[in-house]
Amino acid sequence: MIPINDFLVLSSILFSLGIYGVLARRSAVLILMSVELMLQAVSINFIAFAVYLSPQAFTGLIFAVFVITIAAAEVGLALAIILRLYRNKATANVDEADMMKW
Amino acid sequence: MGAQEAYLIPALPAAAFVILLLFGKYLPRGGDFVAIAAIAGSFLLLFPVLVDFLDKANGTDFVPVEKSWEWVQFDNFEIRLGFFVDQITIVMLAVVSFVALLVQVYSVAYMRGDPKYGWYFTCMSLFAASMLTLVLADNLLLLYAAWEGVGFCSFLLIGFWWERRSAAEAAKKAFITTRIGDVGFLIGILLLWREAGTFDITEIFDFAARGGFNNADIGGLGLSGNAYLTIAVLFLFAGAVGKSGQFPLHVWLPDAMEGPTPVSALIHAATMVVAGVYMVARMFPLFVLADDIALDVVTALGLITVLMSATMGLVETDIKRVIAYSTLNSLGLMFVALGSGSVTAAMLYLLVHGFFKALLFLASGSVIHATEKQDIRELGGLAAKMPVTAAAFGIGTLAMIGVIPLSGFWAKDEVLHALDQHRNVVLYILALISVFITALYMTRLFIRTFLFEARDRVGWGHAHDAESLMTLPLVLLAALTAVGGLVVFGFVGEALGFPGGFGEFVFFAEPEKFDFAWGVAIFSTALAVGGIVAGWYFWSEKAEPARRAGEALQPVYETLYNRYYIDDAYQWVINRVVLTLGSLVAWFDRNIVNDTAVDGSAGLGLFAGFELKFLETGKLPNYALAIVAGVIGLAVLLLVLRL
Repeated sequence: MIPINDFLVLSSILFSLGIYGVLARRSAVLILMSVELMLQAVSINFIAFAVYLSPQAFTGLIFAVFVITIAAAEVGLALAIILRLYRNKATANVDEADMMKW
Repeated sequence: MGAQEAYLIPALPAAAFVILLLFGKYLPRGGDFVAIAAIAGSFLLLFPVLVDFLDKANGTDFVPVEKSWEWVQFDNFEIRLGFFVDQITIVMLAVVSFVALLVQVYSVAYMRGDPKYGWYFTCMSLFAASMLTLVLADNLLLLYAAWEGVGFCSFLLIGFWWERRSAAEAAKKAFITTRIGDVGFLIGILLLWREAGTFDITEIFDFAARGGFNNADIGGLGLSGNAYLTIAVLFLFAGAVGKSGQFPLHVWLPDAMEGPTPVSALIHAATMVVAGVYMVARMFPLFVLADDIALDVVTALGLITVLMSATMGLVETDIKRVIAYSTLNSLGLMFVALGSGSVTAAMLYLLVHGFFKALLFLASGSVIHATEKQDIRELGGLAAKMPVTAAAFGIGTLAMIGVIPLSGFWAKDEVLHALDQHRNVVLYILALISVFITALYMTRLFIRTFLFEARDRVGWGHAHDAESLMTLPLVLLAALTAVGGLVVFGFVGEALGFPGGFGEFVFFAEPEKFDFAWGVAIFSTALAVGGIVAGWYFWSEKAEPARRAGEALQPVYETLYNRYYIDDAYQWVINRVVLTLGSLVAWFDRNIVNDTAVDGSAGLGLFAGFELKFLETGKLPNYALAIVAGVIGLAVLLLVLRL
């Protein structure tokens, strides 16, 4: 059996990549994708722990399903917002979208 | 109708006040008839109360009538509101309602044409309501409220012509000076309440009689015996000192003469200023239970006031201020009587003083009304022009001096008699000296105003007796001044339906049969006549002897003329101490409280908000970075705390 540490390392790497993407990228679409990466890192954690800690119960798996569902809904919403942004500013660069400051 | 309905007596003027305040502008004549009808109603209501009260009495065994209603109630703390009728209440009610009625009738003519005519009667109604409440109150809290009420009316009416700076200043001075005493009064009330747990006067008496105040202590001062009660009644007396213008708080009363003259007659002679005497008489059982020092203080301050005011009256030239000094003189005598243990003498003096002092003020009001002068250096010779006023003023003067058989004689002799019997001979002699000085300055006042050459021909030329609305009250008061003192005799009292003379109606503990003290009467009459003769010698014709005496005794004259420099001393204290401390407090308030604390904290918020708003860049990566940094920070914190 694959040791749980491997899963945790994988999920940490994915999560860190996601954070890096969110912080470093300027394109709204890429930021969205990075957020998805972070979500999936969390899902991996859920599943790994579920299998290791309580193989009989489905709690962790159900959470993973929820995360996927929410991620799908979120993508729908976020893409719609990005489209509106593109329509208004003719760009998807989040640095340009600073109308909500002081 | 009976004594149970006594609450209607103050209720009528109170209703008149509300009506005048709300609708006075729309009523014809400023609504003066409402005020007069109300006070006349109060006066008439007194008779059923009196008859009922006398009917219930068994000989000289009077039954006080008390009735009260719930006022404040929470948990087991209750304050009741009610009235209490006994003999001294009835005497006070008679003086207050009768003099108030006459003064208001007089005012109709005196104040005619004044732009604030309606407001005058509004204030007068409020005053009458407050004063009657004060007299009837059965608990100290209500009494205190009414006490402040009359003080407030006094303030309004002294400053009635506030356009004149001196009137505004006098009103302020009166209010602040009496307030100093009132604080003491309140402390006294609270001290009594602290132990007795009630404001009801009768209950406090019962509590004191049971020895409830014995060995009471304040904050570990180690008081024992009657010390607590003594301190409490001395604080009560402080209120009386302020209100009744006793030394050292007498300075406001002469200045209070800035108000309209009928106001001086009602408030600053007949009623409000005797509230202190009334209060001490009402609380007398406590003064008796307290250590002797309490009544010693009352006597001492009374006597000091008598002598100071009498001597100051010698050199004062303003007709109203001279009468104001004579009022202080009389009030001092009342306190001397109380201090000597004679409620009878004090209340008798209070009764007749109400008549003759109101008479003097109203008569001087007629003089001022006719000549528009009130400095006796500019008056003179008015008897020929104003015979009725002069006669009334003369009767008032003789009563104040205490010439037999006018009312002042009987009252003053009762006071002297009490002093002679219960105090040492030095005090008695001092009081007799004051009788002489009183005769001196009252004679001076009368002859400089009404006799000899007129110093001001213009005012004298158009002077004449006032219309009947003003002379009628004078005549009534003069008649009462002349015969009012006869109530000391048993047969007069019985003829009026009382069980006996004044001493058998108003007394403390035991009824006192009137006994004519020949010794006192001879001394006082001799001194009074001597004073009149001396006064005549000094101030007749051109008043040459008085001028020479004044020059010979220049320092004395200066001292008296400057009122013993007491006003100056107070002014110095106010300027140097009070205002210095005040400016410190003001500086602290402005700079520390206002600018630093209040404005400072507000400014800090504003500044911080202004600086911090630039963190809101609107850029998504910044927010994201903040979130990540926050999470990392929290994680680090968690790790550190775990370790």
